[in-house]
Amino acid sequence: MKKRHEQKLIVLSVALFLVFNIPFVLIFNVDGHLFGIPYFYVLIFSTWLLSVVISFIVLKRHYE
Amino acid sequence: MSNYALVIIIVVYLAVLFYIAFIAEKKRQSKWVNNPYVFTLSLAVYCSAWTYYGSVGIAANSGINFLPIYLGPVIAAPLWIVVLRKIIRISKQHKISSIADFISLRYGNNRFLGALVTAICLIGTLPYISLQLKAVSETFEIMSDDTSYISTSIIDDSTFYVALLLAIFATFFGTQNTDASEKHKGIIASVAFESILKLLFFLVIGIYATYYLFDGTSDIYNKILAITDLKPLTTIGSLEEGFNWAFTMGLSFMAIFLLPRQFQVSVLENNREKHLKQAIWMFPLYLLLFNVFVIFIAWAGKLTFGNTQNAEYFTLFLPLKQGHSFLATLVFLGGFSAVISMVIVSTLALSTMVSNNLIIPYGFLDKFIKNQPERNSKYIKNIRRISIFSIIIVAYFFYVSFSKELSLYAIGLISFTIISQLAPSFFIGLYWNRGSARAAIIGMIVGVAIVLYTLVLPFTLDAFTGSDSFTELGIFGVEALKPYELFGLDFLSPPAHAFFWSISFNLLCYLVFSLIYKGNYRERNYAEMYVDSKNFTTLQDRVLVWKGEAYVNDIKNVLIRFLGENKANRALNIFFTKYKLPQDTQLADARLINFSEKLLTGSIGSASAKILIASVVKEEQISLVEVLKILEESKENIVNNKILIEKSQELSQLSSQLKQANKDLIVKDRQKDEFLDTVAHELKTPITGIRAATELLMDEDDDMPKDMKQQFLKNILQDSDRLGRLINNILDFEKLETGRLNLDMSRQDIHVTITKAISSLKQIAAKKEVRIINKNQHHFYLHYDEDRILQVLTNLLSNALKFCEPKRGEIVVDYKLGNQFLEISVSDNGKGIPEEDHDYIFDKFYQSQHQNTIKPQGSGLGLAITKQIVEKHHGKIWAKKGLKNGASLVFKLPFK
Repeated sequence: MKKRHEQKLIVLSVALFLVFNIPFVLIFNVDGHLFGIPYFYVLIFSTWLLSVVISFIVLKRHYE
Repeated sequence: MSNYALVIIIVVYLAVLFYIAFIAEKKRQSKWVNNPYVFTLSLAVYCSAWTYYGSVGIAANSGINFLPIYLGPVIAAPLWIVVLRKIIRISKQHKISSIADFISLRYGNNRFLGALVTAICLIGTLPYISLQLKAVSETFEIMSDDTSYISTSIIDDSTFYVALLLAIFATFFGTQNTDASEKHKGIIASVAFESILKLLFFLVIGIYATYYLFDGTSDIYNKILAITDLKPLTTIGSLEEGFNWAFTMGLSFMAIFLLPRQFQVSVLENNREKHLKQAIWMFPLYLLLFNVFVIFIAWAGKLTFGNTQNAEYFTLFLPLKQGHSFLATLVFLGGFSAVISMVIVSTLALSTMVSNNLIIPYGFLDKFIKNQPERNSKYIKNIRRISIFSIIIVAYFFYVSFSKELSLYAIGLISFTIISQLAPSFFIGLYWNRGSARAAIIGMIVGVAIVLYTLVLPFTLDAFTGSDSFTELGIFGVEALKPYELFGLDFLSPPAHAFFWSISFNLLCYLVFSLIYKGNYRERNYAEMYVDSKNFTTLQDRVLVWKGEAYVNDIKNVLIRFLGENKANRALNIFFTKYKLPQDTQLADARLINFSEKLLTGSIGSASAKILIASVVKEEQISLVEVLKILEESKENIVNNKILIEKSQELSQLSSQLKQANKDLIVKDRQKDEFLDTVAHELKTPITGIRAATELLMDEDDDMPKDMKQQFLKNILQDSDRLGRLINNILDFEKLETGRLNLDMSRQDIHVTITKAISSLKQIAAKKEVRIINKNQHHFYLHYDEDRILQVLTNLLSNALKFCEPKRGEIVVDYKLGNQFLEISVSDNGKGIPEEDHDYIFDKFYQSQHQNTIKPQGSGLGLAITKQIVEKHHGKIWAKKGLKNGASLVFKLPFK
């Protein structure tokens, strides 16, 4: 995989590191729920799922 | 459900696993065994009973804290593309057999470091295995006696038997091959199968709890909101909690790389780097699926039972309460799968480490040197088997002594914290070539000591002495050294606190000591290899610098001891063929040393391999500077070789071009000589004639008749003309060749020009009785230099005349209009152009070898000049091929 595409994944990792940590993650401290799932979980799981999708796309396109 | 039924179910399940592993080993090469999905699922060995049961416990009691254990791997997964790939490449190249090997090799194949890493892994993994045993024992209890949860003496027995069963299963499967670098495809296949099962059953129970016992997620949420304040369970409440969250994530990030079982499945058992392509996104997805229902199971349990005691086993209690014991059995099997896969892979990894880095280097090497290969192989297998067995039994005793007090979660965190002490030397060692062995050792010891002091000692003392004065007052009453609040830092949970202090000191020691103490040359050699691994793959066996005296025979003997005569000989043959050395080479060089060390690494680990080989060769000490210099030279040599090969190819191309040019020059030179000969001859003839005639005329004695005198004078004139013509030809040609000739272009009538040309030769034609026919009578105007085209036509006509037969000869001049060209042809019915001359007639100085006269006619320049003139008009001239008799020369001139 070319270096410039590898860097996309590295940046994804760094982004996740920032998002999942304080103080950023305190943004997820929202009261309430979405269909019975508390917002904190919704946001964490959505970010999680998004990272899976992004990894999938990057790898599919650029890993020969 | 009775004990015995449960045991039978377990045995049947183990048999199924055994069968799967067996089939997978048989079909090692098939796509079912070697694909990225199996690889990804094998990575899920990360999810053990801790994930299966422990998460629900945490979710019920303290909310979100179960998540960071999985967020660490989620953050790590995209980095695998660089980090894990590098690790896999290095490991494959050096036939690494464990994480202890990997780290010790990086720091110069340091034996003590390998042993230290093994010890750390043992201390770290034993609690984890006992955690699994605790889970099995407690779930067994729950399943077999579903109303109460009281431990009786039967329980100890059953756990012991389960431990025994696990030990036997693991022992048998993990040690088929002595070469630990052989892949355990069977085990990996069964681990993958178990990963599917445990996810499946966990999802089933999740759906059951959410949609069957209740009416979906909103229903559970609303109901739970009614009885508890959800805020502490669904948010990060304070900065302290935030720190704990962050540190736990850091722990799990390191764990996914460093845990012996993870290193085993992700690095050592990896078949193809390409599998990473799927693993990077699929593994986080697996973890996501595993975690979606956790909170709902926890809340469902709380709603059903009213409290969160034994929340860890809600997944079993919920179906059992409703009488759905089949579902409960499935859940139990799921948890059991999680336990088995973790235990099997961990003990496999640990036993290899123990055997290669603890026992063999520090005990058995001498014995091995003296022994037969078959016995050595048996010894190694037995050492491994005994290790596996002992590890599980010791874990059982750990469980019995300690696990009653601690929760699954707490034990797991202790284990992770201990293993994470490998992190600084592991990760920094991959990217910083200055990291030295001494620093790694000091850092690790300091880190482990801090963990033991702040995490392990407190509960051990508490368990044995029953008092918590240590925790409250610190060692010797020194408040600053209170184990859970070192130096007054009191807002972190014990595991986060331990992690923070231990990693900080570990890291600091590693960095500082690496800067102070320089590693020896061998360390630096390996360090360069790891850090710069991309460039070093080309060097292969030359990567390790070695100077000294070694004999092939000595090395061969050592190899025979471990591989047997056949394998050793075959390996050496391959080596000699690869490097194009004769089969009876006596002296061994650095490449053979490296090659042999790698061969042995699989069986006995790299540290022992190095010791063994070192014992039969004599190494010279070389300085660090020299090592680096030699490495640089080797790298340069490879690059230079490539450049040399390219240059030499260029050179041979150039040289063949030069040869060709030389040949051409020789031909041209010969032609020039011929031309000079001809020209000299041509010039001589008229001059001789002139001279003779003049002499005769000067002779007044002779009474020459008047018309004879006239004749001679005419001859002189003719000959002078001829001379003049010849010289003009040569001058013309020279001008044309050097491009100095300017054409005087004007609009002319081709018909007029042709008529002029024909009339100028009329006399000669008449003399020879040859007819010249001007076929085309149309007038046509185009731009050309009339004098020059006249010259062309005259030349063509006189050639035609030359070769025509007298009386019968006929020359036809014709022209026709083409596409943007006017084509003029001069055809005769004479001798024609011989086959072999056809391509050359327009070459200068070319004379046909087949002219019927002894004296060649003309200077050979006529047609060459003609061609130049035509081409200067941007036209073309050629001779028609394939004519039966006679010749036809055609030239075309462009017109706008």
